[in-house]
Amino acid sequence: MRGLHQLDRSSAVAGTAALGTLAIVPVIFPGNYLMGVLTVAAIYGIWAVSWDFMCGLTGRENFGHALFIGVGAYAAGYMNVQIGWGPWWSLPIGMLLSALFALLLGFPTLRLRGPYFALAMLSAAVIMQRLMLIFWEHTGGEEGIQDITPLIRNHLHYYWFVLVLLGVITFVLSWLARSRWGLILRAIRGDEATCLAAGIPITRYKIISLVISAALAALGGALYAHYQLQVSPQLFSIVTSITIITMVYVGGMGSIYGPVGGALLLTFLAEGLRDVGEWRLMVYSVLLIMIVFFLPNGFIAPLWQKLRATLRGR
Amino acid sequence: MSQMLLEVDSLDKRFGGLHAVKQVSLAVAKGEIVGILGPNGAGKTTLFNLLTQFITPDAGHIVFKGHSLRGLKPQKVVALGVARTFQLCRPFAGLSVLENVLVGSFGPRVHQPDLVERAMHLLEQVGLVSKAEVAAELLSYGDQRRLEIARALATDPELLLLDEPFAGLGSAEIEAISALITQLHTEKKLTILLIEHKLREFMQLVSRVVVLDFGEQIAEGTPQQVVENPRVIEAYIGKQGVTL
Repeated sequence: MRGLHQLDRSSAVAGTAALGTLAIVPVIFPGNYLMGVLTVAAIYGIWAVSWDFMCGLTGRENFGHALFIGVGAYAAGYMNVQIGWGPWWSLPIGMLLSALFALLLGFPTLRLRGPYFALAMLSAAVIMQRLMLIFWEHTGGEEGIQDITPLIRNHLHYYWFVLVLLGVITFVLSWLARSRWGLILRAIRGDEATCLAAGIPITRYKIISLVISAALAALGGALYAHYQLQVSPQLFSIVTSITIITMVYVGGMGSIYGPVGGALLLTFLAEGLRDVGEWRLMVYSVLLIMIVFFLPNGFIAPLWQKLRATLRGR
Repeated sequence: MSQMLLEVDSLDKRFGGLHAVKQVSLAVAKGEIVGILGPNGAGKTTLFNLLTQFITPDAGHIVFKGHSLRGLKPQKVVALGVARTFQLCRPFAGLSVLENVLVGSFGPRVHQPDLVERAMHLLEQVGLVSKAEVAAELLSYGDQRRLEIARALATDPELLLLDEPFAGLGSAEIEAISALITQLHTEKKLTILLIEHKLREFMQLVSRVVVLDFGEQIAEGTPQQVVENPRVIEAYIGKQGVTL
């Protein structure tokens, strides 16, 4: 279809260049600390981009993305430590389990109008966090699950692995966002009644998008578990969800690639803010409020659009 | 009355204590333009919402081309060939004019391979081709109305339901939209059901009128018959009547 299904070449080149640069940074500046921050940043990138695909495009903001992340991470921990399966099972099974959660939660909640979807997802994540404490014999309670085996022992190789996954996911979701599918999701954001009048089965599109979003969040969760080598109920907390939403807002909601930039930027910012400890969430919140006020489209995506226009000599 | 495109029989809907649509029956033949007339709150838009299954009726039958529409999802009604517009224009904000029309063409009725070309052709018909790349929410009200019609046409309907297509428009725009509706009727052989307030333009467009008042069908006939009907004059027009 003309006008659709096209990823513009400059964005693809810039994306590849950015990933390439990220890949060689720890080679030029070796050190476990930097590599650790980069790995976590890339995982946050997966979480942010998966949030943006469903929520950024349809405008249905999920305040419980942590639920899917936690499901992926705990699935990894549980299968790896409690059952004793090899670490590679974590990725597909975590994604599948999370997709199932998305189906179960999506059917009742995505029919709701207004803020109820956001609230329902927020509550679901809080309930899951509680359940992790209640069923402590299986989940380890407050301590969580320790001694998870790494997927790849070499830290640099693991970082590259995460980075490649981030690149592939971002590329595929960007392509989907520019296809008929993405257009329909943006139309749902525009007006649901008009979608019905245009013959679009909106509930189906919203649920499938949530399932995709949830599966990818769980993939990130499993990657995180196999990087930290432990999981804790904190993963399900509202802080996780809000951090991701902030990253998306900073990056540019609905742009898909923007939130990846937002995730990198804010992960490094959070590292810089380590000294202020408990104030971190407040700084995050103030930043979110300021962006919503002054830069409603975020700044990474608008910045790139401006740069691209300049490069083209417009 | 054998070859009816749409047949509505004893359609009924209550909202709590409000009896919004009372036992309404009407039929529309292929190729007709039928008007639904009535004062504010008469149940006209509710009737449209019932026909398109945006709201489920409490009782009654809706048969379109032999298919019962009752209980279908709104998108299935569109898939059978019934399209609607809204009284208040509801374009997809954040999408371009062209994209707005494209979204309408993703249903099962459209088979052309080049949807963009088809959408551009529809925009040409409604006179919006020069604004294809403009963000839909930036259009003037009259242009949004055209876009609304183009989006409905994109679903390839056989029956088009227009909910107050002249609402909020100036007289020049009304004439233009009126001409567009006539053109769609003659060129595309579209059957049209139309709700309107603006009496004069309305009466020139339609061949038959159904009058609602407080959810009840109080008259039916040619525009001339309807404006001479004492119940209609009392309910809607006032004591002086109106000249065509």
